[in-house]
Parts: sequence; structure tokens; C-alpha cells
Amino acid sequence: MHTHMFRHMFRTATFASALAATLATGAAGQASELRVGFSADALTLDPANHRNRETETIIRNMYDGVLTRDAKMAIVPELAESFRQVDTTTYDFTIRQGVTFHDGSPMTAEDIKFTFDRLILDNAMGGQTSPRKGLLGPLKEVTIVDPRTVRFILSAPWPILPAMLPFQEVVSKAFVEKEGSAALATKVNGTGPFRLVDWRKGDSIVMERFDGYYGGATDIPPVGKACVDRVIFKVIPESASRVAALLSGDVDIINELPAHAMNQVARNANTAVVTVGGTRTNFVALNNTKPPFDNVLVRKAANHALDKKLIIDKILNGTATPLNGELSPDAFAFKADLPEYAYDVAKAKALLAEAGYPNGIDVTLDVEGPFKDTAEAIASLLAKAGIRARVEVGEASLLTKKWRQDKDKVGDMTLTSWGNGSLDPSDIAEPTLQTGGRGNSAGYANPKVDELLVKASTEIDKAKRAAMYHEAQAIVNDEAPWIFLWLPQDIYGVSKRLSGWQPSADSRINLHDACVK
Amino acid sequence: MTSLAEAPESGRDDGSPLARNLRLFAGNRLASLSAAVVLAVVLMAVFSPLLAPHDPYETDLFRRLQPPAWMQGGEWAYLLGCDALGRDILSRIVYGARVSVFIGFTVIALATTVGILAGLAAGYLRGWVDVVISRLVDVLLGFPYLIFAIALMAMMGPGLQNIVLALAYKEWVIPCRVVRGETLAAREVEYVEAARALGAGRIRIMLSEILPNILSPVIVVATIRMANVIILEASLSFLGLGVQPPTASWGSMVADGRAFMLEAWWVSTFPGLAILVLVLAINVASQGLRDAFDPKFHD
Amino acid sequence: MSPGKVLERLAQLVLVLLGVSVIVFLMITLTPGDPVQIMLGDQHVTPEQEQALRRDMGLDLPLPERFATFIGNAFQGEFGLSFFHRRPVAEVIAERLPATIELTLVALILAVATAIPLGVLAAVRKSTIFDKLATVTSLLGVSMPGFWFGILLLLLFAVNLQMLPVSGRIDFAYQVEPITHLLLVDTLLRGRPDAFVNALSHIIMPALTLGLPMTAILMRVTRASMLEVLAQDYVRFAEAKGISRRRILFRHALKNALIPTVTVAALETGTLLGGNMIVETVFGWPGLGRLVVESIFVRNYPLVQTAVLFYALTYVLLNFVADLLYTVLNPRVKL
Repeated sequence: MHTHMFRHMFRTATFASALAATLATGAAGQASELRVGFSADALTLDPANHRNRETETIIRNMYDGVLTRDAKMAIVPELAESFRQVDTTTYDFTIRQGVTFHDGSPMTAEDIKFTFDRLILDNAMGGQTSPRKGLLGPLKEVTIVDPRTVRFILSAPWPILPAMLPFQEVVSKAFVEKEGSAALATKVNGTGPFRLVDWRKGDSIVMERFDGYYGGATDIPPVGKACVDRVIFKVIPESASRVAALLSGDVDIINELPAHAMNQVARNANTAVVTVGGTRTNFVALNNTKPPFDNVLVRKAANHALDKKLIIDKILNGTATPLNGELSPDAFAFKADLPEYAYDVAKAKALLAEAGYPNGIDVTLDVEGPFKDTAEAIASLLAKAGIRARVEVGEASLLTKKWRQDKDKVGDMTLTSWGNGSLDPSDIAEPTLQTGGRGNSAGYANPKVDELLVKASTEIDKAKRAAMYHEAQAIVNDEAPWIFLWLPQDIYGVSKRLSGWQPSADSRINLHDACVK
Repeated sequence: MTSLAEAPESGRDDGSPLARNLRLFAGNRLASLSAAVVLAVVLMAVFSPLLAPHDPYETDLFRRLQPPAWMQGGEWAYLLGCDALGRDILSRIVYGARVSVFIGFTVIALATTVGILAGLAAGYLRGWVDVVISRLVDVLLGFPYLIFAIALMAMMGPGLQNIVLALAYKEWVIPCRVVRGETLAAREVEYVEAARALGAGRIRIMLSEILPNILSPVIVVATIRMANVIILEASLSFLGLGVQPPTASWGSMVADGRAFMLEAWWVSTFPGLAILVLVLAINVASQGLRDAFDPKFHD
Repeated sequence: MSPGKVLERLAQLVLVLLGVSVIVFLMITLTPGDPVQIMLGDQHVTPEQEQALRRDMGLDLPLPERFATFIGNAFQGEFGLSFFHRRPVAEVIAERLPATIELTLVALILAVATAIPLGVLAAVRKSTIFDKLATVTSLLGVSMPGFWFGILLLLLFAVNLQMLPVSGRIDFAYQVEPITHLLLVDTLLRGRPDAFVNALSHIIMPALTLGLPMTAILMRVTRASMLEVLAQDYVRFAEAKGISRRRILFRHALKNALIPTVTVAALETGTLLGGNMIVETVFGWPGLGRLVVESIFVRNYPLVQTAVLFYALTYVLLNFVADLLYTVLNPRVKL
């Protein structure tokens, strides 16, 4: 803290020579303050009214949920003490006692029921329906069994309910009823380790420690109040500025540290790089519905033509895991022994010739602006094997429209990704590989895979479920609807003054146990 | 700028005012030098394949972010270093001139032509033609330039053609306003009255009498705006709405390099310098043009 | 000014606003890209939920009805809900507006304060080295792409020298209770000179970057009009009477010379507002410009429409101010 304060005062001093006398004021007292250089501002502070990862990261420090995940992504109880599955469509949660909201009022089962009613009932949010309703699948009803137990009732079996609950946070019924639903956008009364001090839009979000915090999830030590007095999320969208802020000691944590800046942060005496396995599968979706990629030989050729390791090495600085399928190695039912499409230009050319393209093919590769570099690298490598790809940069919204429609897909290839924050196969395989899936850019349609996915989505027995997903992965790997790419790690930069914090794979920045020296 | 709306009075009858003013311009050394620089950039654009040391599109991941030749790790063959995909920056700057020059000239040519026609019509014909055109000009001017261009690009999609259109859609109002003002002043002058008395048709009068005499300020404004248009294209590319890869535009090169500011400052700096040099040259030359064409500044 | 003229101006204002809103409405709704799809991104959603979202955003109504609703509401000061923030657009814009206004004002003040003395000096010392240098510098000012210049400033002062901060408006430690929401003003009003300095250190680089082209233009205009005034008969007459050059300068010449400067400044302020988005993006300044650009990319229709209306209104008002200033300063011209 002292180094920072000094540098801070030094800057102000050099700026205004005549005002040297005023420098004595400096920062307030000896309060410990943790600053996060964050890539985006929150859209809203209402936990039920957004679909945005960055917003959730910020909100999650002020609101707790029924369940949460630890740094290793295991699901642990938070506001619930425990839960059990009563039958295939019913789960009972025992509510923790002694939890209070920031305004001092106690949290009860009523608040939990209210929170979920607000999420799943239509028009429950002051006339609006929560955009997060879709994250709760077939959740039909939440009832109060007794003051300590809340019952979640599904309309169909949904084994991933516990995996999806950490995405929701509990609000105070009395607070919403008194202030109105719309007030939650800017006012916070949660049960989290920090309370809101000020939200300076587009600039920063300031929170301070909530001394009445019940302690947090018992499975994530240490249990107790937050370590630091104050947390500030500073909004710095420009990556170079974010890195600069970290290097100058202005902030203690930055997210989305670009791979090419890693060396600088690692070399700096006061900072370090920390990484965590990501959850966003990157792939090149090939248009399976029309030539040339409707031919499996051509698709396999494309996989053999790409030197994944070179790109991971040079552009991602080694911070990605090569994949042979759609799942992250950390996901449930990940099949580790999928055959790899080795980098082999000769084989790629041979396969192309066998498919009827002895002179190669000319195709287009669509990509969003931020990933232009990677796309161009991929295109230049593919060209060496005869797959001459022309990169076309487009806006995200336009690409979505072009590639997510089912009929008459016109593109050839697109570099894209799909997040799988719950680390459950159904969350990624269904949208991207099931026939007609929302994210099925490749237009892949295999009835056997569809059948396996549908059965697995309601199968309760874990072993049986895993076996189904294994089989599906093997088929997908063999049919190669995509050029399988990699899973990038999430890279963060931290100050060496920071302790007690690890990044987590779902991009949450949980500052409860973080301390600064 | 308001002072342009004045019609030069003397010297109208001793030969073409255009030729006389051009001679004055040539006498201004700084302006002539700048014009030469602009010419050099245009030549660089035309003869890029001969001038560029390497293929601007050839990627080499092993040369990623290589420093310029005089720094450690640089090579003289790659004088200004390499970008994020290992492409030679110098070659890309040479080829990038094509985009800047093309856009600068095309947008201005398009906008000036449309602007002249609209301005002439509005200023000479008056009546409802004037009302419609003037109101349209007002509305278009009410849009901040960049937002209008961004929105148009979002509508039409990226690409060189669309950039030209997007910029031209707003740019024409400026020559139009100038021409309209000049035409309003010029239509009362004797030679116009004379032509009208002789029975010349309105369009004939507009084109053969008024137009040649108002060309001076139009040319001057056009050259000033060219500099602006080049910067606007660079700004659009900077925001990600510019040319498609692998085409290099100086603006998109600056944008691409900005993430690497800390480790590889050269990726953004040199293309930015190129923009600066070209635009500065255009501005100095156009300043010289103004000084030559405006009698008040003759010493 | 006659009431007839006021009405004419008002009519012009309404016409421009209407024209602008029609154009922007058409443009953005004809732009491909579905805001609902963008908002939902990768997530699980059933068709019913998507429909519910669409209904909430008012996107299921036909185009003419949407436009009529927008205009009707606009007259009452209601600008709809921002798709992404799920809060009233007016609120979202009002939150980001002070930052943009403050940046524009500081850039304007810096530009005027620099350009006028330089322009006057250049005119008085015409054709000397100083004049040539000033001319070249001013041409340099309009030739530098703002985003490039801004990045260089950041690199130099924030990253290498670490003299100035990287982003934001003010450090948390120096926060003060807002009165005008203009930080520079509020910090002084609250008697916190240290906070003032801190806020100044945050705003100086973006303001310089934003104001540079305007400084260059104003300098040229001042120089040109100063030269013109100095060549006037009444100045030579005063010189002949033996009045000191200095007195002539400040008493008579300056006032008249500044008329074009002031009017151009008023007009160019509109350009400042337009150039905001580049500067705000480079410096992470939490203002309206950045918000509007982001909103275009995510097809946040209500916000873009309202923001553009706001810009158009500002433009017309500035034009009006310019004309007003012109008449006030130059009594010979009647409006």
C-alpha cells in the first residue's frame, strides 16, 4: 500500500508544483483497498436482469447464491447448508441460519422463494420477464416446506440443476417490495461479503466490506468476513491500458491479460501471471450442409492441415490446450483418448485429392474483429495444404445471423467459440452439435448423436450418462464437423501484494478471501 | 469557414483566374514541396508492387512482432519491423498508401461532383429546389460525422466500396454549401444578366458562366476536406469498420497494433506517421492554394 | 431579435430533429443484426423465452408503430428502455453525459486559451519565424489522427513516465459529493484542491487530444482575421494619430478580430462532440461517445436513437448560439 500511495502522490506532485502543501492529505487512512482492472462495466446491478458474464462477476461479490463453486469448480453449498434430491424432479435445500442482508434484515426461506419466483415467473420483474429464466431450464415451482427448507420442483428431470444454481443470486423480498423491482438496477441489498458504496457508470464500482457477513460457504476456507476493507472494480476496456495499470501498481488484479503481454507482467518485479483452465471451446465450424465441407474427407483434410501447436505457441504464448472434440478436459464425461488429427500437410493434400479436389479449394473464413489475427494465421497455414481461405471480418451480430440460421447456410468456415461455464456436456453439445441447435453453426446433423444427447440430458445415473457422452464424442471426433482447435486458458495478471486469491474457470473473480499487503 | 463566401472582384477579366492563381501557388516553396510529397505518396500507391521489399500479405509466425532493424532482434531486410502475424510493416505501409489515396480521391471526387450539382441547383434555381436541398443539408449536418458513418457501415457491411459511400453520403453537403453560397452571389453579376438577356437557358448559364468562376474556392475546400476524409477512413478502420483483411489500410494497422503498444510500439507508430505525413502535406499544400487563390493574402 | 425569426429558428429545429430521427430510425432498423440474439449470446433459451424478451423490448410491433411510439414518447421526455441495461435510456445517457460535457468543455477552454494568443501573436509578427512555426504547428494539429496521437500520449506519459493515470476520471480517494457532476468544478466547490489536481491529471490527456484539431483551426482563423483587421483603415488612422500599437491592438483590433474566432468555436464545438468517441475509446473515458459506439455494435436501438437526437439538438443549438454571438459582437449585422 505504501508504494502505491507514494507513487500516487508523486504523480500529483509532478503535475502541480505549486500545490505541494496539499499532498499531505493523500489517501484516506490505512484502509486496505483492492483494485481490479476490469475489462467491462456492469450493465446492471440486478442479479436477475442481465445475461452478461462481466456483470455477473461484479454482482457476485455483493450477492451470494444458494450454491456456489470453489476455485476447482466443485459445487458447494453457500446460502443453503445442504441439499438432497428427493426424486427425479424434486430437490430440497436446507437453508442456512444467521444470514443477514446488508441492511441487517435476516435472510429467510421467503427470500429464496421470492428470488426464484422473480426469475422463473413471467412478468415477475415489474412487468418484465427475467432474461435469466432460460438458465433454470424446467424449474417449475419453488415452495417453502418449512422455515428451514425450500423445495425446487422441476417439470422434467434435469440432472444439471445443481450445476446451474451457482449462476443465480438471492435478493431480499422486503427490499424489492419496498423499493420496487427497477431499483435493483442501481441499488444493492445482498448477502455477499461486500456492500455497494458507489457505482460510477462506465468508470468504476466501489464496494466495502460488509461486517455482518455470515462467513460464506463453509467448504471454502477461510470462513468469515472479507479480508480487505474496500474493493474497486475499475473499468478499463483497452487491454494495453489495463496492463499498464497493473504494471504501474494502479490495480492489483486484471482480467483478460492478453497472451502477448504475459512476458512483460512476468518480468516485472511487482507483478505475476496466473492462469486457470478456461471454459470456452474454440473451433472452426465448417459448413457441413454444402460443398466442399459436406464431404467428410475434406473436413478431415482441414483438420490435418492445421498446425495447432504452432499457433498456440506463437499467438497464444502456449496458454491453450489443444482439443480433439468439443469438451474441456475439466468437463464432466470428458473423453481423454479421442484420436488426434496430426499435423500432416501431405495427408491433407491426399485427402483433398481423394475427395475430388486435387487442386485444393477456395473458401472464406468468417471471423469477428477481435479474433482477426488468429483467423489470418489459421488461413495462412491452411493455404499451404491447398485450402485457400480468405478471411472476412464481420460484426458479431451479423455473423450470428449468418451462421445460426438453419436453412441455406452460405458461409464456408467460421472461427468461433462456445462457452461452457457449467462444465457440463449438455450445455455445449446440445446447442452446438444437436440438429437444429442454437449454436450449431456447422449445420451438423447426426441422428445417433441427437439420440444420445437427448437421453443423456435426463439420465440421472452418472456412469450411464458419462458413457452416452463418451460415445457421442467419439462419433463427433470421427465425423469432424469442425476443425477442432483449443481451449484457451483464462489469463490474469496480479500484483505480488495480493494473496488469498485464485482465478476460477468460470471467470468469476471472488474477492471474499483476497488480501492485499 | 465563413471567409470563403466572398466573390473575388478584380482580375476577372484578364485571363483565366485559375491559371493565374496556380502560378502564384507554384511560387510558394513550402506549398509546392508539400504538393510534391502528396504526389510522391500517390506514386507510391501506384507503384507499390515495385517499391515494397516484401509481399505485404505473407505471414510468418516466427517473425511475429519483430522489432525494427536498428533495435535488438531486428533485421535490415525488415526495416520497420513486423506486425502481429510477422508481416513486413514497411511493405504494408507502401501498399496501404493505395487505400488512403483511393479513398481520399474517390470520396472527394464523388462528393464534390454531387455537391457542385446540388449547390448550383439550389443557389441558382432557388424556389422549392433550394428549400429541399437546404433542409436535407441541415438534417445531414445535424448528425455527428462518425456516428453517421458507423451506422451506415453497420448497415452496409465493411469493405472499401462501402467506406467510400458511407463517407461520401455526408461529405457532399460541404461543397454543396460552398457552391450554393458562391452561386447566390454570382447570379446577380453582370455577365450572368447579359447571358440571360441573350436568351441562354438556365442550365447553360449554370454550367458555362457560373461554374468556372466559383471553382477556386471549391478546389480549395476539396483539398482541405481530402485530408479530413483520410483521417476519417483511418478512424473507421481504427474502430474495426474498415477494410477487410488482408488489405492493409494505415488506420487498420494503427488499430491492430494498439493492443501491442507496450511490447511492440512500432506496429502502431509507423503507420500513424504515414497518415500524419500525407495529411500534413495535403494541408500545407491546400493552405498554399488558399493563399494563392485569395487576393486578400497577397502581399 | 424579432419573434418571427425566433419562430423560424424553432421551426428549423423541429424539422431537423424530425428528419434526424426518421433517418436514424430507418438506418438502425434496416441494419442487419438482431438485438435479441446478441443479448442472449450463447445461452440456453427456449423460443417462448426469446419471444418474451422480444415483447419486452417492443420488437414485435411493426415498424411504423415503433417509430410513432418512439416519437410520441420522445415528446413526453420518455425515451424507452435501453435493451442492454434494461433501464430507461434517459437515465443511462444522463449518467454518462457529464463526463462527455466536461471533456468537451475542457478541450474547448484549452483550445481557445491557446489558440487566441498564438493567433494574435502570429498575426502581429507576420512572416517571422514565429509565424511560420505557428502555422506549421497548427497544420500539424489538424493532420494528426486523434487516435494515434492519443495512444502516443498514453504511451509516453502513462506507461513510460508514469506521470499521468491510464484511465478514468478521478481516483477513489479523491472522490467528492457531486453538485454539478463536473468533477473539476465540484472539487473546487468542495474545497478540495488535491482532488482538483487529481481530476485534472485524469482529464488533461484526453482533453488535449480532443482539442488539438480545434486549437489548430482557431489559431488559423484568429490569425487570418487579425491580419484583416490590422490592415483596416481605422487601425492605420489610429497609428497615424500616434496611439501605441499595444493600445490599438487591445482596444480596437482584438474585439473585431475575435468575431470569426468565436463563431467558428461555437460551430466546431459540435465537431468536438462528434470526435468524442475516438478519444473516449482510447482513454477509457466513461462518456456518451463510447456508449453510443458500443450501442451501435450491439444494436441497442433506443439508446442510439436518443443519443443521435441529442447530438442533433446540440448541433442546432450551437448554430443558433454562433449566429447570436455574431450579431451581438458585430452590431452592424442584423440577424
